[in-house]
Amino acid sequence: MTLFTKDDCVLCDQLKKQFDLSAMEVRVEVLGNNDAGALAHLAWHGLVEKARKALPILVLDDSSALDEFGHIESHLLDRAARYGCSVAARRSGKQAGCESGSCALQ
Amino acid sequence: MGVVMPLNAETAQARTHQVVNEDSTDIALFVRSSQDDMLGWNRQRIVDALLRETFIDRDTAEKISKDIELTIQAGKVKTITGPLIREMVNAKLLEMGLEEARRMHTRLGVPLYDVDQLLVQHNKENANVPHGPEATNLTLAEGIKKEYALLHVFTPDVADAHLSGDLHLHDLGFIDRPYCSGQSLEYIKKFGLNLPHALSMAKPAKHAEVLLAHMVKFAASLQSHFAGAIGWDAINLFYAPYLEELDDNGVKQLAQMMIYEFSQQAVARGGQAIFSDVNIYWEVPKHFEDVPAIGPGGEYTGKTYREYEKQAQRFAWALFEVYKEGDAAGRPFFFPKPLVHITEKFFKTDGHMDFLHHICEVASVKGNTYFVFDRGDTAKISECCRLSFKLEASDIEDAKQPWKMRYSALQNVTINLPRLAFKAQGDDTRLFALLTEKIQLAAKAHGQKKKFIERLMSLGKGGPLSLLAMDLDGEPYLKLHKCSFLIGMVGLNELIRVHLGQELHDSDASIKFGLKVIAHMNIVCNKLADSMGMKFVLEQTPAESTAFRFAKLDLAHFNAAAEKVVQGNREKGEVYYSNSTLFNVGATMSPIARVEKEGLFHPLIEAGSITHIWLGEAQPDKEALASFVINVFKYTQNDQIAFSPEFTACLACGKTSRGLSETCPYCESKNVDGITRITGYFTKISSWNKGKLGELHDRYRNVDRFNN
Repeated sequence: MTLFTKDDCVLCDQLKKQFDLSAMEVRVEVLGNNDAGALAHLAWHGLVEKARKALPILVLDDSSALDEFGHIESHLLDRAARYGCSVAARRSGKQAGCESGSCALQ
Repeated sequence: MGVVMPLNAETAQARTHQVVNEDSTDIALFVRSSQDDMLGWNRQRIVDALLRETFIDRDTAEKISKDIELTIQAGKVKTITGPLIREMVNAKLLEMGLEEARRMHTRLGVPLYDVDQLLVQHNKENANVPHGPEATNLTLAEGIKKEYALLHVFTPDVADAHLSGDLHLHDLGFIDRPYCSGQSLEYIKKFGLNLPHALSMAKPAKHAEVLLAHMVKFAASLQSHFAGAIGWDAINLFYAPYLEELDDNGVKQLAQMMIYEFSQQAVARGGQAIFSDVNIYWEVPKHFEDVPAIGPGGEYTGKTYREYEKQAQRFAWALFEVYKEGDAAGRPFFFPKPLVHITEKFFKTDGHMDFLHHICEVASVKGNTYFVFDRGDTAKISECCRLSFKLEASDIEDAKQPWKMRYSALQNVTINLPRLAFKAQGDDTRLFALLTEKIQLAAKAHGQKKKFIERLMSLGKGGPLSLLAMDLDGEPYLKLHKCSFLIGMVGLNELIRVHLGQELHDSDASIKFGLKVIAHMNIVCNKLADSMGMKFVLEQTPAESTAFRFAKLDLAHFNAAAEKVVQGNREKGEVYYSNSTLFNVGATMSPIARVEKEGLFHPLIEAGSITHIWLGEAQPDKEALASFVINVFKYTQNDQIAFSPEFTACLACGKTSRGLSETCPYCESKNVDGITRITGYFTKISSWNKGKLGELHDRYRNVDRFNN
């Protein structure tokens, strides 16, 4: 399972803070100006255009992808429970949203 | 350049001694000058040229001129040419170690032998250029401008990289023009045909036929100012306000006129047909829905384009009826290329399935249709063999005044990918470092061309690019600040084969590594775009001749490595690399697998990609192709597809048959020519270069793949 993220993406950041992703065996790929491997991996899953609209994107083990934040969060909550991992409280319970407008691949 | 033979030292000395006493003014020598004149010998002309064209000092110039005079006197010739004197001076400069002065004093020209060959033999660098006096004019002019570009526009490192085949600077013979142009018909609908230096000016057209005449002439003018394709956006929609008073026959007649006008315009630049593209929509694109329509006389009609959907659809349908019929001999039209945009809205628009079947029938029968996929909110204008300009927010704003919509790529530079793999010798780090280096060099080349074009544009309406400087809407026609700079690639498949020992179609690992190479190119382009303030974008290079040139050069300079991976027939010299990111053309793959897998690369190549489906003599039914197109739109990332059938045109009986044959099935004549797509357009196979002939031989034809 892979979570595609970006450094200045607030939604990505929120998930990283909320979940112990490595303990849940979720690989994190950071898309940016330096990692051709991550971008190639994204392209392999046919998700470049989706990532240009919104990040994060979660690719499941069956190669299907979730690109809505609520679905990703919900899926990760289930997985955290299965893995017995703790989940940090969401920032003051605030509804997730991309305030900075940078939650997308440029 | 001819070889300058040094005089034997003793002989030269003796002759020099013999002539020094002669008064140079007594030399009965005539010089054929390059100004069409026969002049008497005057040594001072050498001095003047050296002082005018180089930075050497007067004493050195004087000395050189005297030495040359002595050499000529010793030769006892009666007539000498200006070019020969210049070469002698250049040899002297070389002898004196004045290399920079020699470079500045260089004369551009063509050997007599080459001209003799050119006048007789067909130059097949571009299959769209026929053989004839205009074509030889074009080739000769291009030859000089190419030399000029490599000597004077680009720095030696860039020029050397081109000459050695590390990269390819496209259209060097058109160094003083941008690469290609995409625009809106609204410009001439609003402003009429009002071109700089034209002998007459026309007001906005009042009738559809006149608008067509304006469009064709404007396209010809643009062809004189751009190296490559001339594309037109949403052509059926922008014609729509002129069609209301025409019945269906009238609309069909107009469609026929448009297609014949563009396909028969092989009379202008070099006898070359205008490489023209028409973008066609079944629906009214969202960004044009609420735009006030311009109608006859350049006046607003009081309606928006949303209200012209039916008229636009009538024209789109009629255009494809004409494409389906083909020309008088039943051959497919080569130009204008019809690019149909398949969008989310397409599937929500009434009649879309009928239209899809209609254009799929044309794709099957004649092959003309290009299916351009604009998924989600994507909007773009397409042209050339696969180039596309994605509309950004500012472009969508321009769409409110569509005459402002014009896009250009200034230049295309292609990188020889297999060579990088030869040099990297299996080392990933080295491979990506070399790739970065070449992209940087390509960007440097773009900067140099941009500077050169800026210089020409700065001369404004009195300069050579006056058409591009015209500002009828308040901005120069060429919007330099919005130009794209294309970086292409050839031979990803062969790079993978060298580096991993497998071809792209062999394994997922090959594809993944290929994606990493293209992702790296994408990332480096973005970084350079940020640092240089220029819009660098990747494009799948059509590589009509570049795929051949790179393969030939690598066989010459990297033979041991290259001979293992170069495609084609080496004995016949029909060698090539796979185009851009395309898989091996001969790989046995189902068409959907090819479209899907090649399509994985397309989102990384922002200025356009295509997958070809070679049909051979197959003629699939329209329903099968329509279903295929829908699946490609829904389930792949592929940017554009085209189905390419093959034809045999008989030059004896004039009939056209399906498939490629050596004899005409109707009259059994052997005087036949084949027709199919060379890279992104249809043309006659007799005009193809050797590399493309090799590729044609290898192509896997999907003969039984679409049977129900």
